[in-house]
Amino acid sequence: MNKRMPHALFALVTAGLLVTACTPATKENKIADPGTAVSGTVELWHFFTEREADAIDSVVKDFQAGHPNIKVTVKSGQDDSKVTQAIGAGNGPDIGLSYSTDIVGKFCASGAWVDLTQYINRDKVDLNQLNATTRSYTEYDGKRCAMPFLADAYGMFYNKDLFAKAGIDGPPKTLDELAEDAKKLTVRNPDGSLKTVGFLPLYDFYENSASHLAPTVGAKWLTDDGKSAVGTDPAWKTLITWQKSLVDWYGYDKLTKFRAGLGDEFSADNAFQKGQVAINIDAEFRLAFLKDQATNLKYGVAPIPTADPARYGGGYVTGNIVGISKNAKNPEAAWELIKYLTTDDAAVIKLSGLLKNIPTTTKAIADPTLNSDADFKTFIDIFTNPNSSTSPPSSSGPAYQDTFAKFLTDFQAGKVKDIDAGLAQADKQINSVMTLGG
Amino acid sequence: MTAKPLGVRVRQNATTLSFLAPALIGIAVFFLYPLVSAVYFSFTKFDLLSVPKWVGLDNYKRMADDPFLLQSVRNTLWMVVVFVPVRIVAAIGLSMLLTQLKRGAGFFRTIFYLPALVPPVAATIAFVYLLKPGTGPVNHFLEKIGIDGPLWFNSPAWAKPSLVLLGLWAIGDLMIIFLAGVLGVPESLYEAAELDGANAWHRFWSITVPTIRPVILFAAVTGVIYTLQYFDQAAVAGSIASGQATVGGGIASNFGYPEGSTFTYPLWLYTVGFGYHALGYANALAMALFVVALGITVILLRRAKAFSGEES
Amino acid sequence: MTAVLDRRAKPLARPAPDRRVRRQNRLAWIARHSIAIALTVMFVTPVAYLVLLSLMTSDQALTSDYWPNSWHPENYWRVFEVTPLPHYLLNTVFYAVSSTTLVLLSSVPAAYALAKLKFRGRNALFLTVICVMMLPPQVVTVPLYLMWARYGLTGSLAPLIIPALFGDAFCIFLLRQFLLTIPSEYLDAARVDGCGEWRTLLRVVLPMARPGIAAAGLFQFFYCWNDYYGPLLYTSENEGAWTLTLGLASFHSVHHVDWNLVTAATVLAMAPLIIIFFFAQRAFVQGITLTGFKG
Repeated sequence: MNKRMPHALFALVTAGLLVTACTPATKENKIADPGTAVSGTVELWHFFTEREADAIDSVVKDFQAGHPNIKVTVKSGQDDSKVTQAIGAGNGPDIGLSYSTDIVGKFCASGAWVDLTQYINRDKVDLNQLNATTRSYTEYDGKRCAMPFLADAYGMFYNKDLFAKAGIDGPPKTLDELAEDAKKLTVRNPDGSLKTVGFLPLYDFYENSASHLAPTVGAKWLTDDGKSAVGTDPAWKTLITWQKSLVDWYGYDKLTKFRAGLGDEFSADNAFQKGQVAINIDAEFRLAFLKDQATNLKYGVAPIPTADPARYGGGYVTGNIVGISKNAKNPEAAWELIKYLTTDDAAVIKLSGLLKNIPTTTKAIADPTLNSDADFKTFIDIFTNPNSSTSPPSSSGPAYQDTFAKFLTDFQAGKVKDIDAGLAQADKQINSVMTLGG
Repeated sequence: MTAKPLGVRVRQNATTLSFLAPALIGIAVFFLYPLVSAVYFSFTKFDLLSVPKWVGLDNYKRMADDPFLLQSVRNTLWMVVVFVPVRIVAAIGLSMLLTQLKRGAGFFRTIFYLPALVPPVAATIAFVYLLKPGTGPVNHFLEKIGIDGPLWFNSPAWAKPSLVLLGLWAIGDLMIIFLAGVLGVPESLYEAAELDGANAWHRFWSITVPTIRPVILFAAVTGVIYTLQYFDQAAVAGSIASGQATVGGGIASNFGYPEGSTFTYPLWLYTVGFGYHALGYANALAMALFVVALGITVILLRRAKAFSGEES
Repeated sequence: MTAVLDRRAKPLARPAPDRRVRRQNRLAWIARHSIAIALTVMFVTPVAYLVLLSLMTSDQALTSDYWPNSWHPENYWRVFEVTPLPHYLLNTVFYAVSSTTLVLLSSVPAAYALAKLKFRGRNALFLTVICVMMLPPQVVTVPLYLMWARYGLTGSLAPLIIPALFGDAFCIFLLRQFLLTIPSEYLDAARVDGCGEWRTLLRVVLPMARPGIAAAGLFQFFYCWNDYYGPLLYTSENEGAWTLTLGLASFHSVHHVDWNLVTAATVLAMAPLIIIFFFAQRAFVQGITLTGFKG
């Protein structure tokens, strides 16, 4: 019996099914004329749960009160991979709300989230009310497929009691001061091991990542033609040399041993909250934890130190993002909701108050209630400071960051002997891994 | 054997088919279909959101220079070489011990199996915290008896052995299988050997082990396949040991902590496929894994057949 | 039924052991039980830690304070308040029971064919069954998910239960190995008596294969009960179909996890399994030794 024919046929049919299954129907996105009444149902997927999901629900309720013809279904706890798979399968929510900016590159490039420019132009939405950084991480390759939904700003927390004890007046403003203060604040045990650390410079510790530290030196990840810049931008070399010298001062093994005994970042045992680390890089959400879990800790907040005093005042900025999927059944209503969530000042202020993240519109940023908390205001100022930067979107998501992180892990452990050669190789590897996207 | 008449052969084939039919359908739909897609996608650039683009051997060529791949292969191979034999030996040992515990047998069996019932994530969290350097009870205890405990999950040298320990703790499922095998050895064989003057150790090697060979083979093959796909515990242990048990969106971005020592092959595959949306490359990685698993399995099966004269 | 296991220890008609042998036996007994107790401590400690976590406050969970500063057994009650646990339990039971039953029904015959029937391509088929386990799940899920989505079955447990109708590679492999240990003489006797293969399987082999089937059934049941990624992929958008494992995710927010509630829910989810296992393993061991192959 000729067994080969049926097998070949089977393979062909399967492949055919696959291709049709995965070929998304290209929708002709015709948008309505300005002023048309919008109605219908809209489905919104987001990643929040519990109390934060309730916050979203309450704002959505406000929206529905103002738009009685639009009904919104909300599904919580849906992360990026769920949204990706749903869209890939031809389903998907009308609106997706993502935790990070990692997917912007891919979703814009592939059209998974539609280009919102037509809607923006039609409804004359003023994009300048959103600060430049948030605009940069919600568009890719000329397509604006997302809008920023609240933001996070990273600054520096410092322990005022430990500072007083070590005789330091105020927070460090430059990298050199940071290293100096870190050394002054460090206390060792009789056997030489570390007891209190001024600043723990290890890259994989809590929020210390290359991205979060880049604003200290104004380092650029990508060149203008989208290639890796880590080997060519001298700022990176400045940063990592500074970090390495501090690591060596502590002793890498002693640091890792100390770090191993520290508590989880988001538990009540957070090392900064327990006074084991005097200076820590963290974002505005840390404020809520401090109020809850470390009421006795006298802390201060400041922008992160910089190598060049002229660029002091900023920090790292990122945020949640929201977009309309290409399979949206009701894109018009979806746009109305997104417009409300991201540009309606009252809504943004309310969300910022509930979720304790940074608001993104100019008016919301100036809101007196949000600014009444001096610490929160510091973060708002970091957010608006022109020296703040973010990680550029890429069609391969966080691949470039992960690849550089691998180099940094080896570098801080002392495994890289020739820094220039190492950086050049990192360039090569990053460029190679980025070809996975696009 | 004389040739059977056609009628008999047709009936036999029909009977065999009736036994196999559901499994055959299962294999076709839930294995061959994904396998064909995997092969196909491995030659494409595919992000799930747009039409796959044919790229030929590019994905496979990429594997030659991929630094993450190299590291993940080393880690996964280490696990296979260490984890599989250690678990088999321990499971056999434990099941033998269980056969010798008469009083409270049921109690001990349940206790030894208990860890296997704990969901892997919860188990990993418990283990990492108990072994936490500085604050964990295990190192406190070791200090009291004068040993300077290692950094366990925070040490690049000890992280994988700590994962092996976790696997040994959860050995219940493998132990039960061996228990069933060991209990099934005919009593008469032992009695005959005893009369011949064989001691316990000798009886174990010349009677128990040969009889449970099919079970050992099963444990070896499934152990290798499972370890090649070892993902959950490695990912969770790395996240928790680096102090990020709670990060929005799942696995912490510094996977493989510390220093990439817990970075297994499936972890890289997952990152490439779902973190970077490069499903074409991910499928190529999967095909490579499949080929390796197949190779090792064929070798194990061949050896076993030569070994024990299993029915072929 | 310790009497069953005692059987192994009872010596045949032999002269009474002398004092030296008796002392050696006692030392061996002490050694064995000491090891068993030490192992018990090691096996139980992490589980005990999880239980302790479940009785703490959320703030104290996962800190270096291992002993609860204050006891909160009401966490278990709170779990029921935060999530509809009975509903998830129902879904989990439904998933585990139907999947296990269907898997056994479809896998046993296939295992029997691979172990005891002769046919062309048997080795190739056996190897193929093992191969099914070799494709990493991350890669298998994408085409399967797309397939189920086309039939509109995502958002339910169907994509997890329907495959059980068609066998499970692990179970087939396991059962085959067990069935191999059944001496063919029994089957030949049945065939000579005129039994067809199905009858041979049902009347002769099944009773002898009970321990293997019980083991496979237990594995499948526990696997389904603790399955997280399957339900996560196919039911997460429909809370009505969530299982216990997904319910655990209800305690996670972006920067905060109520680990005390998570562990309480985990303990609640594990409790039925422990009870089931305790009763099942007695029957299981009984089955092995009763069907014993008295040579």
